[in-house]
Amino acid sequence: MRRGLPWTALLVALILYPFVDRALGFQTVHAVSDGMIYVLLALGLNIVVGYAGLLDLGYAAFFAIGAYSMGLLNSPVLGSPLYGHPWSFWLCIWLAAAVSALLGVVIGAPTLRVRGDYLAIITLGFGEIIPVAIRNLGDVTVEIGSWRPIERLNLTGGENGVNPVGRPYLPSVPFETDPVPWYFLILIIGAASLWAMNRLRDSRLGRAWMAIREDETAADCTGVNPISTKLLAFALGASFSGFAGSVYAAKLQAITPGAFEFQVSIMLLCMVVLGGAGSLKGVILGGMLITLFDRVVLTQTTFMVRAFGRTTGVTALATADLTLWRWFFFGLGLVLVMLLRPEGLVGRRVRPAPITAADLEDGLEVAPAPRVDAIPAWLRERAQGGVAAATPILDVRGVTKRFGGVIALNEVDLLVPRGAIIGLIGPNGAGKTTLFNVVTGLVRPDGGRMIFDGGSLVGLRPNAIVARGIARTFQSIRLFQNMTVLENVLVGEHCRLAASVPGAVLRPPSVIAEEGRARVRARELLAFVGLGGQEDELARNLPYGDQRRLEIARALATEPRLLLLDEPSAGMNPREAETLTELIGLLRRELALSVLLIEHHMEVVMGISDRITVLDYGTRIAEGTPAAIQRDPRVIEAYLGTGYEQDLAGRESAR
Amino acid sequence: MEWWEVLVQQTINGLTRGAVFALIALGYTMVYGIIELINFAHGDVFMLGLFVSLSWFTLLGATKTLTGLQLVTILPLVFLLTMLTTAALNVAIDRAAYRPLRRSTRLAPLITAIGVSFMLENVALLWKGPAPIAYPDVFPSVDILREWFGVDSAIFVTTKDLLVVGATIPLMLALHYFVSRTTWGKAMRATAQDRETAEAMGINVERTILMTFFIGGALAGAAGLIQGMYYNIGQWWMGYQAGLRAFTAAVLGGIGNMTGAALGGLFIGFLSAWSDQYISARWTNAIVFAILILVLVFRPHGLMGEQTPEKV
Repeated sequence: MRRGLPWTALLVALILYPFVDRALGFQTVHAVSDGMIYVLLALGLNIVVGYAGLLDLGYAAFFAIGAYSMGLLNSPVLGSPLYGHPWSFWLCIWLAAAVSALLGVVIGAPTLRVRGDYLAIITLGFGEIIPVAIRNLGDVTVEIGSWRPIERLNLTGGENGVNPVGRPYLPSVPFETDPVPWYFLILIIGAASLWAMNRLRDSRLGRAWMAIREDETAADCTGVNPISTKLLAFALGASFSGFAGSVYAAKLQAITPGAFEFQVSIMLLCMVVLGGAGSLKGVILGGMLITLFDRVVLTQTTFMVRAFGRTTGVTALATADLTLWRWFFFGLGLVLVMLLRPEGLVGRRVRPAPITAADLEDGLEVAPAPRVDAIPAWLRERAQGGVAAATPILDVRGVTKRFGGVIALNEVDLLVPRGAIIGLIGPNGAGKTTLFNVVTGLVRPDGGRMIFDGGSLVGLRPNAIVARGIARTFQSIRLFQNMTVLENVLVGEHCRLAASVPGAVLRPPSVIAEEGRARVRARELLAFVGLGGQEDELARNLPYGDQRRLEIARALATEPRLLLLDEPSAGMNPREAETLTELIGLLRRELALSVLLIEHHMEVVMGISDRITVLDYGTRIAEGTPAAIQRDPRVIEAYLGTGYEQDLAGRESAR
Repeated sequence: MEWWEVLVQQTINGLTRGAVFALIALGYTMVYGIIELINFAHGDVFMLGLFVSLSWFTLLGATKTLTGLQLVTILPLVFLLTMLTTAALNVAIDRAAYRPLRRSTRLAPLITAIGVSFMLENVALLWKGPAPIAYPDVFPSVDILREWFGVDSAIFVTTKDLLVVGATIPLMLALHYFVSRTTWGKAMRATAQDRETAEAMGINVERTILMTFFIGGALAGAAGLIQGMYYNIGQWWMGYQAGLRAFTAAVLGGIGNMTGAALGGLFIGFLSAWSDQYISARWTNAIVFAILILVLVFRPHGLMGEQTPEKV
């Protein structure tokens, strides 16, 4: 109730504002409404930049598409049949959003293969092309020799733009003369957009965006489809600009290509970055500050400086025009925010937690041993669903992978029976991780077959392989660093959840139930691996051993039938490694989970593996039970080293 | 003009344009190679190079066409002064805006670079005003074919074209020698490949980065001076346009690859000249960007770049 109070106050203030403004004769409603359109645009850009982490330098192109969709559909200039009806605007605003979303997908599609700053440049390219195209398509003449199939065709209004644009119509609401109805129209659209964005952020889709932002490869290997996730971000971001653009066109009554240049994209980016990318409150604040600065502070300060100059007789000041410095200040603002507060004004400050004495002791403390009764019941149910067939769960035959002239994998065979723990050992560079990458779809093999549970894995994308039931961890931990522990596990459940965009926004009972169930499961999993009570910690702030266990919890959340662990005990002390061994053994015993394990800790791998495969220079040099492997002369030569047997015997007797 | 004369003329135009793009592109590609930053402000350093060189000419009293002796004294001096000024500017930009963000996310310095670009453009706008600035015709323009060879042709080749080629090629050769033969160059290549290992081998990485920005800035300054002398006009926004085209050239050649950047610059020069002639100047920008997008999508490592798979 107390949390609701400021919101109620804000709402009342927003509703009363235009009337107060009128009573006092400020006449600022017009400018404020314009500013709100830009804030709405910044919120749309925030989906792309803040949530999905895709730097878009050409967002003004979507603004242009929204405005021109409205302009061309609802204007007499090009003779649109939709113009002139009382319902025209209300139909066209939805059409404009749809067109924008569609073009968002079209523009987004080529960027899918590209990451990071290359992607930024592609969006910049589109941002440049769209205004050029709008200008030039106002007068198209195609000339082939003396034949002119198309002559002076006007598609966009060209440099002159589109004018007039149909206004919205509601009985007895004066959209023609009064800025107040516009204010409320924009306020309602803005509030509805905010509401929808808020819900999207806290949904399965919002988490997928953030996972892509944090680590695209890890997200792919956790069951998030990067292609559809990015396209959705582009499409939704663009659809909000469709609304903003169409209201802009109708309010201004005229649109010209000059209104959608690169500078507009940068101003919107300033709003997002200044407030804090990824934070709705931050973006609104950033948008309001910049609009205020641009519309009020610069002009008012100019007045003051001039007045000061006139009274003191300094002509340089009396004729100064600070509005000319507009872009200088925007540039300076970007630089200063990045240097001083990269997370923005209200963004969550991200820094590693200081190491305290308690943390140091924490490392020495033995991690709680995994308990049988802590295994989540739902995981158990899934495990019982599996048929205990005699066929192996994973059957890799003759897989080959070359990197240039290097043969990383040379006709490798590997068999993982159901419910077995298979160790994979070999010297550094033997191809162990490459084999993992081939099985999980990150690397496409040059030859060979891979059958998982009766179906071929060759050619599947990593997220599709996760959906079939293979999960993995990484040699160098790859968590979603700036997401909470709970969110990390929830991303793991992504491919087992079903909520779509309408579901995430409207939240029907089925989605609420699904989301609730997902959270319960995530908490149970965290308790099981010994991370209970740390759900709201950022993943990056966890100590090393906890990060490893969180990665395992995230992998388990995808409900795998085969778990690939890449050196899970690396960097752990012997006691932590022991707990880990127990955990893996427990998973196999209780859940019939098959495990493929790369490990250099010989005690771990010899202790729990049913069989071991040894790789050397990409070739399988041995396969057998741990006891047989330890005596295999080739393995001793290539990997274990002579004297290993005596060493092992000595340690055994010392116990 | 016959059709082939038009083609030859536009190809010559493309060559001179491309030489300027190539010089700018080298700065982009060197900086990207070493710190993986698209130095968005680089085009504006080029633009300031043009204005700065104009100031140096004015300071040295050379506002009319230079004659014999002046060509070998004042002109090299202005080249040197302009390149030093823009080199210092580029280093200062790096120190102030990019260096504090070395260990930050990759997008943070890109955003500051955009900010710096806006600041530089605004400074030029306030310094020189929004209207185009006339750049004095300091370099003598002689119609080579007619005056020197007595050939009466519709094709127009002047001593200015020679200047562009004659200034660009030595700069590129010098750069090539510097990068491939000197200790500094070796340090740059090592840092570009693996900054941490280079540091462990005793290379002063920050000094190497400084050197990279210095050279990149110097080349951009030279390009600005050449542009000014060739076209006799300067505008505050020209750095943005030229920068984007030069960046396209660098991407085309495989960003980080110097030979690629030089060839990419020439290619973009030819392309834009031909597009101006055969399609329409108003579509040229769209065509250049469409090519940039196509290259990034289908060959993200450029036409000459190598594929480097991500490590897992």
